[in-house]
Amino acid sequence: MNKQEQQHLFEGIIEQHKGILFKVARAYCPDEEDRQDLIQEMMIQIWQSVHKYNDQYKITTWLYRISLNVAISYYRKNSTRTKKFTDLNEQMMEIPVEDKSENEKQLNLLEQFISELKEIDKALMILYLEDKSHTEIAEILGMSISNVGTKVGRIKEKLKTRFAQLKS
Amino acid sequence: MDELELKKLWQSTNDKLEKSFVIDKKNTEEITHMKVYSLLGSMKPIKFFALLVGILWVGIGGIALSSIYLNSFNEANKFFLFSASIQVGLTAISLYIYLYQLITIYQIDITEPIVRTQEKLSSLKISTLWVTRLLFLQLPVWTTFWWNETMLTDWGILQWIMTLFFTLSFTVIAIWLFFNIKYENRNKKWFQLIFSGKEWIPLMKSMELLEQVEEYKDQNAST
Repeated sequence: MNKQEQQHLFEGIIEQHKGILFKVARAYCPDEEDRQDLIQEMMIQIWQSVHKYNDQYKITTWLYRISLNVAISYYRKNSTRTKKFTDLNEQMMEIPVEDKSENEKQLNLLEQFISELKEIDKALMILYLEDKSHTEIAEILGMSISNVGTKVGRIKEKLKTRFAQLKS
Repeated sequence: MDELELKKLWQSTNDKLEKSFVIDKKNTEEITHMKVYSLLGSMKPIKFFALLVGILWVGIGGIALSSIYLNSFNEANKFFLFSASIQVGLTAISLYIYLYQLITIYQIDITEPIVRTQEKLSSLKISTLWVTRLLFLQLPVWTTFWWNETMLTDWGILQWIMTLFFTLSFTVIAIWLFFNIKYENRNKKWFQLIFSGKEWIPLMKSMELLEQVEEYKDQNAST
């Protein structure tokens, strides 16, 4: 793949699947400024890896792997983080302020629940909520399909308990 | 609220937010012209620098010490000679660890599954513990390199007691820390006290993450 083809593929991936980056960043980074940095980091990693992409896996599987790996690793660097790309337009990404909805209470609770999860459990929860099949989750996380079932089951139980507490 | 409703709520909220999430095409293009950089890229120059300084230290130290051993061993201050040899030897071992870390950095692939990549990244960070262990192990030699033979004739009992007390204490502490600073002791109070500073946060977080990775791996093994 030459540079031009890589560039074309990269721009296509970002345009078509930017939602994946956004959702993962939103789950791992509550702070908006950090979130923009995180999305930028994800995009750079996608660009760095685009030459390695092959169609053995679905593009979404590949993208989830990169974005989740970056998001999980990102927190390690946070304490000593310095801005590396100040030359980039600071208005590069406009992330909207979340508007209120009638289901706001449930959504807040769900988001709070996700934020309390450990890093890998959080990845599993995002994929579960995105309705990914157990096979795809197993490919993204690198575990067996049966274990995906077990882990998802446990997280669902926790989630049910949390919502039941709210009702009572 | 049941499972399906939850998924629907999550997806519809994200879909709505996503629609107004804009990535400027011009800036996407800018990334493709950026100088090559990777998530681990920032670690490489530091490791290379440490490796270079270490090679110089061990190289120059090794040559100087070898020359003393070969040409003027009888006249040399043995306390200094043996202390310096231990120090240079331990630094050489640290170099080996830096080399291992550099090789691991090059082997990490961010497009691999999460559990595998995070295990490698955490193990890489945790290998820093080895450098700390070796640093502590050097402690006693810093209390002996200035010793000399006149001490045997000129020193009084109090001076001896003081000096031996410091050297023995440092030796016991250094050996104990060398064997006990390890991942398995991460939850002990003394361990958390040593690694309580801000600069250790990434290391402690890597340990927490490795614990999660192990949970996932244990589950894989048990089925």
